[in-house]
Amino acid sequence: MGGGKSVIDKKTQVELDYQAREKRVWDAIRLEKPDRVPIVCYDEYFSLKQGGLTPADAYYDPKRASKVFADEVTKFNWDMVSIFGNVPGKVGETIGLTSNRWAGYNLPDNQEYQFVEKEYMLGDEYDEFLKDPSDFTIRKMWPRMADGLGAFGLFPSFTMFSHAYAPISDLAILLGQPEVREMLEKLIQIGEEMNEHLAGVDLAVETLKEKGLPVFAEIPAHAPFDWISDYFRGIKGTMLDMYYQPDKLKAAINLITPHMIEYTISTARMMGFDHVAIPLHRGADPFMSNKQYAEFYWPSLKELLLALIDAEITPMPYWEGSYTNRLEFLTELPRGKIWGHFDVVDIEKAKKLLGDTMCFWGNVPVQTLISGTPEQTSDYVKLLIDTFGDNGGLIVDGAAGIPKEAKLENVIAMTETVFEYGVY
Amino acid sequence: MTEKLFDAITELSRDEALKVTDELLQNNVDPNDILDTARDAMQVIGERFESGEYFLPELMVSGDILAAVADKVKPLLKKEGETEKIGKVVFGTVAGDIHDIAKDIVVFMLEVNGFEVIDLGVDVPIEKFVEAVQEHEAKIVGLSGFLTLAIEPMRDTISALKQAGLDDVKVMIGGGPINGLVCDDTGADAWGPTAMDAVSIAKEWAGVRA
Repeated sequence: MGGGKSVIDKKTQVELDYQAREKRVWDAIRLEKPDRVPIVCYDEYFSLKQGGLTPADAYYDPKRASKVFADEVTKFNWDMVSIFGNVPGKVGETIGLTSNRWAGYNLPDNQEYQFVEKEYMLGDEYDEFLKDPSDFTIRKMWPRMADGLGAFGLFPSFTMFSHAYAPISDLAILLGQPEVREMLEKLIQIGEEMNEHLAGVDLAVETLKEKGLPVFAEIPAHAPFDWISDYFRGIKGTMLDMYYQPDKLKAAINLITPHMIEYTISTARMMGFDHVAIPLHRGADPFMSNKQYAEFYWPSLKELLLALIDAEITPMPYWEGSYTNRLEFLTELPRGKIWGHFDVVDIEKAKKLLGDTMCFWGNVPVQTLISGTPEQTSDYVKLLIDTFGDNGGLIVDGAAGIPKEAKLENVIAMTETVFEYGVY
Repeated sequence: MTEKLFDAITELSRDEALKVTDELLQNNVDPNDILDTARDAMQVIGERFESGEYFLPELMVSGDILAAVADKVKPLLKKEGETEKIGKVVFGTVAGDIHDIAKDIVVFMLEVNGFEVIDLGVDVPIEKFVEAVQEHEAKIVGLSGFLTLAIEPMRDTISALKQAGLDDVKVMIGGGPINGLVCDDTGADAWGPTAMDAVSIAKEWAGVRA
């Protein structure tokens, strides 16, 4: 045993693979050339489908889904993957959630969950929201989003609990009411159901780690404009507000921005992640003009991104939809600190404007993955490598991740092209 | 007299539009003329959207103003003057997809361009498309979808229309996951990336010069 390192110091091949993959990805994010182009995929249901499972299985039997997912996704040898698990089906059923629809409950088994967009907050309720957003959300919004949370509507304003006798007076009286007790029982039940669900999802994370494949977190943060538009006012509501009550809309955005920052940082730290996913919605090109983006959307999003970077948490904005018109805004962000995923964008313009600012990730058209050929897929990946590869700032993925409708041979072609053509 | 209303709508001033509507009604202007003016104004909004001057907020606000003006005027209409329609389109977001924004924009643009649109809403079952086409004797169908999951139901809807013997019906598809490759894949007759493409396609099929 002369010369070599002791076996005790030696890392296992799995650990080495894990570290090499992580380094490859982070090098690309920092715009430092890795050994080859990394391939990092948002894959929630494609690998499950290869193993014969549906989104409904992911929502209702995460333990089984975890095993199948880990077996299937590791076949591709990607550098990092996301993980399913965003809809605990039983929890939704128990609280009678009406703000979402999901497979295995009120959507077909093979379709992913969707949010039911509505004006959960009405146009004349901004003042209540601005006075106390938590109070408004819990007492007004939740009963509108879930049948089983209706009893929150019976609660007095939360400030009523701010006296020393509240626990043996107001609170006790409230908890004595049958509707409230029934709701509390359901809340205890969803806690148990959620623990079970998360244990199932964690199994996938652990299994993948054992196989040397890192997982990226999907702890979601949101652009403050999206937070109001997606969940409170709906797209029509916010777009009317931009004309009819712009000051209130801005006040709501300004109010929640620091909370969003604080919540995101503390959640990421608690869960031990140094990055957070930020799916973006209403800032895409067709939704508003650049002038409106500058006025309503960008300032609070930029504040969030910079605050996360300051806290040494890498933001992973998913610039969903077409984003070519907004590229100029993104040049305001610091170099090598953003792990952004692109959907549809003019790639030459993106390279020209952002090539020295941030790594380019995604953009392989879902249409090609679904309806194209392996050659077409491979050609597109080569085009991306030719366009962005010179300084290492490229990570490959489908434009919207890997849709479950993608053809297996196209996904294989995408992956093989990276391994063969993407070596630096 | 109605120019002020036209300007108020195209400049997206709701209060002004409603004030002018009241004045016009007080001055005994024919309610049909008021509605016609409002429709003309909507056409300009559509053109500005097409040219990239206006975006979604402007469509939503103009739609809101039109509805408010119509609320004031409609009870006073003796007989609703129907403008001549250039064709019927059955439109909806396909089964399993509940997104309505893109669909609503296309419906809006088809309507301001003179089509009668039978809007079936979102998550529309295949049979409902077939029934609506038969009931309204429409020759044009528009299928919208936001998610990749919409592709399969699009394909199934198109083949169901064929199976029902509706071979002379033309189908156009659109939405985030659609391009030429997907169009061929589903068996649709045409596709388009924007609402104006839907209008041009429908006009061509209706035999109207775009």
